[in-house]
Amino acid sequence: MSNLKAKLGLILAASLFATSSIAHDGVVHSDIGEALKHQEQTSPNTLGFPDVKGGDFDLIDHNGNQRTSKNPNGQFQLVFFGYANCKAICGVALPSMAAAVDILKKEKIDVTPILITVDPERDTVDNMKDALAVHHKDMIGLTGSEEALNVAYEAFNVEKSLVYNHPEHGPVYAHGSFIYLIGPDGDFKTLLPPILGPDRIADVTKGYVSGAKS
Amino acid sequence: MLSCAKLFKSLLISSSVLFLSATSSFAATEAKPIEIKGEIIDTWCYLSGVMGGEDAVIGSAHHTCALWCAAGGIPVGVLDEEGKIYMVLKLEGEDTLAQSDNIMEIQSDTITAKGLHYVRDGVNYLVVQDVVANDGITNFNHEDFGAVPPNSFPKNYSAN
Repeated sequence: MSNLKAKLGLILAASLFATSSIAHDGVVHSDIGEALKHQEQTSPNTLGFPDVKGGDFDLIDHNGNQRTSKNPNGQFQLVFFGYANCKAICGVALPSMAAAVDILKKEKIDVTPILITVDPERDTVDNMKDALAVHHKDMIGLTGSEEALNVAYEAFNVEKSLVYNHPEHGPVYAHGSFIYLIGPDGDFKTLLPPILGPDRIADVTKGYVSGAKS
Repeated sequence: MLSCAKLFKSLLISSSVLFLSATSSFAATEAKPIEIKGEIIDTWCYLSGVMGGEDAVIGSAHHTCALWCAAGGIPVGVLDEEGKIYMVLKLEGEDTLAQSDNIMEIQSDTITAKGLHYVRDGVNYLVVQDVVANDGITNFNHEDFGAVPPNSFPKNYSAN
């Protein structure tokens, strides 16, 4: 594995220096993080990001308690739509979210990771807690009635569809693949592609938590 | 799908710098109309490097894996002729974000599209309003790199 990482590191390094990204607009950066920060500073967010209005949801958490889009602890929230038994994109997004939360925790920034299920038949109050604790001890699973879940799906423009039934793992769903950052009051802040690593997710989140971004 | 999904988990590299716009502008505060020509790519395998170098994870060599990734929820991107990547937020006629059966029809194809360009947190996003041309798969690199999985690319493929 270490050889693989070394190889991939070389590939990445080669790819970066093969592009203009590390030396855009005439500024040469010593590392990727510096380049990212500079790029964010010089290319502000587009106004009116499309089709994610966000909005209130009213669901049931993995302890059986009502939970809305407003965080009772007053923390920012990283939200992903998926299911605990997912072997595909959830296996990328949820560990990244969890790792980002830990990175932020070290900087004394508390952010709540949340999974809103697209498979309420299997993700129940009784079994979600243990399944999600695999990713992070503080990860909250939310389920609810079909009607209540649809409110959440529509707010974040998420659609689910059954792809097929796996003989061992059961139903496999296609569903939204972005991670959403919402504020303590449930207001939509930004979305993050799941392929961004934990460091990048944490960095972007920190910008919104600190008020440097809106 | 699952074998590729396992690879997703093996490594996360913060290569998101490749998403960055090569240009910068303090005035870029409105979505900008854009016409773009490029290949629809599997952003995970391209950016993570888990399946090989950049040249190996595009085109016919990576077509089947790219379909699996898209089916598994990995957002697709458009790799333009300058090497810049735009995350596809929506295709024409779709209501939801980055979820589309239609994307399966054009995965790995080289398209020309009109749409709107957004920037968020340093990432380029594209809302495709109109695919004005589709050249099909134009990069037949499976002879050079081998297909993933092996022998998955049809021998007699024709874009037409």
